[in-house]
Amino acid sequence: MRRLYICATAVFWLLVATVAIVGNWSPAADPASAPAPERLIPVAELAKHALPNDCWMAIRGVVHDVSAYLPEHPSRPSVVVPWCGREATEAYETKTRGRPHSAQADELLARYRIGRLAAERP
Amino acid sequence: MLSANRQRLAIPLLLLASTAGPAYWALPEGLSPLRSLGIILGWAGCGLLLGSLLLMLRETWLSRWLGGLEDMYRWHHRAGIVAYVALLAHPLALAVDSWPEFPAVAWQTLSPFGNGWAVRLGWLSLLLLMFGLATTFATRIPYRSWRWLHASLGVGVLLGLGHLLQLGIEEPVLPLLALAMLLLGWRFIRDDAGLAARPYLVHSATPIANGVVEIGLQPLAEPIAADAGQFVVVAFFAGAGFRGCGQFHPFSVSSIGGDGEIRVGVKALGDCTRHLQSIAAGVPARVHGGFGSFLAGRPATVQLWLAGGIGVTPFVALLRAGPLSQPTTLIYLYRSAADAAYLAELQTLAAADRLLSLQAHATGDLPPDLASLLPAGRDLASRECYICGPPAMVAAVRRALRRCGVTTRHIHFENFDFR
Repeated sequence: MRRLYICATAVFWLLVATVAIVGNWSPAADPASAPAPERLIPVAELAKHALPNDCWMAIRGVVHDVSAYLPEHPSRPSVVVPWCGREATEAYETKTRGRPHSAQADELLARYRIGRLAAERP
Repeated sequence: MLSANRQRLAIPLLLLASTAGPAYWALPEGLSPLRSLGIILGWAGCGLLLGSLLLMLRETWLSRWLGGLEDMYRWHHRAGIVAYVALLAHPLALAVDSWPEFPAVAWQTLSPFGNGWAVRLGWLSLLLLMFGLATTFATRIPYRSWRWLHASLGVGVLLGLGHLLQLGIEEPVLPLLALAMLLLGWRFIRDDAGLAARPYLVHSATPIANGVVEIGLQPLAEPIAADAGQFVVVAFFAGAGFRGCGQFHPFSVSSIGGDGEIRVGVKALGDCTRHLQSIAAGVPARVHGGFGSFLAGRPATVQLWLAGGIGVTPFVALLRAGPLSQPTTLIYLYRSAADAAYLAELQTLAAADRLLSLQAHATGDLPPDLASLLPAGRDLASRECYICGPPAMVAAVRRALRRCGVTTRHIHFENFDFR
């Protein structure tokens, strides 16, 4: 068991170091490369996409189609799905005990951007 | 009590359930294979750690269900190291998932910097598990320090569950966190602080060999239930001009009296047991047990007992409990005559019991020539063999017996190494 511990720990740090070195030298994923046509999406249209397999969310004024990502989200569907078809900035900013999502989550979110939320007319 | 076969399967099945349950609950659908693997490894490791926590509890009823404390500790170690490997692979699989497209995202997934408390807690948990296991394998650390360093593994488990909570997964994690805290608290309060142990008083302390003292303990309340051949876990405290170290250590029972009095053989193997050589009557103690079942349920066939040093104690307890009912050869190995605890008494017992054949050998500083000490192969194959002694001696005797054609199921042994 001692040998297994030493081998596993050594391989772990070797792989972490490899990921760190290559990751830091590679260009960051460019969110702009994802297709993100800047169309204005009204609230009414946003509300039509409120299902787990057709889920749009407006966060900080930007609309994201997160249908493809939902199965990967670490939380249970019951936590996330209620925010489909809605303005979800507050939920996004207060994920767990009032803490916002990470910078990495922001970057990931940008890949699902499909437009901007149209301002409501009075 | 469960049958021997069921007992053998009890711990593996328990660990299988504790691993498969959370992994099944979190079984991902429609994700990439690496991401799915990462998630499953994380939950499987978490479940195994919880199973491992259950196996560290020192309760007589639990050890009876699960086949003995030694089996429980062996599986506690195995489950812990397998869980550790699974948890090391968990973040790597998640990171490598995005590696082919975006190596930078792979590092961002793995990096403990700028990723929020969820990832930071995951890293802290892994580092504590890494540190705790490193100290677990460092057997040269004094036991007193080792115990506390080993406890860092428990903190690592709690931080790992905190990592899941930070990810927003509260539904099964809060009950799991409560369970982990219950098991850790149980171990600390019942076992380490001694709540499960019964109060006793030292009423005799007799040196019986070089660095070996036999301590008699009188119960102050209801005595423990122990059989000859078992061991108990005892902590000695301050009193009667003696200051015990207060740590629980395992000692073989050397005799059990009708009034609940027990005697234990204590060899000076570390700081605490060396100090115990000068213990006197009147010192308070707490006793927990009895544990161990390797001499229980012996068949009525010819037997071979092999004892090394203080490992002779459980055999002495059996012989003191009454005459043998099957022909038995006891091979007793010790360094020199001055180290041979109970030798004179064993010679007297062998002279009085025609079923007992005693072979006592002073081995000196060299390893004994087991081939010349063991009975002939044909004679040996029909015997049940019981071994008790230092781990190196037990391992050497097991190898020698297998070389002589004794099958594994006829070889019974017990190690006292609880680290």
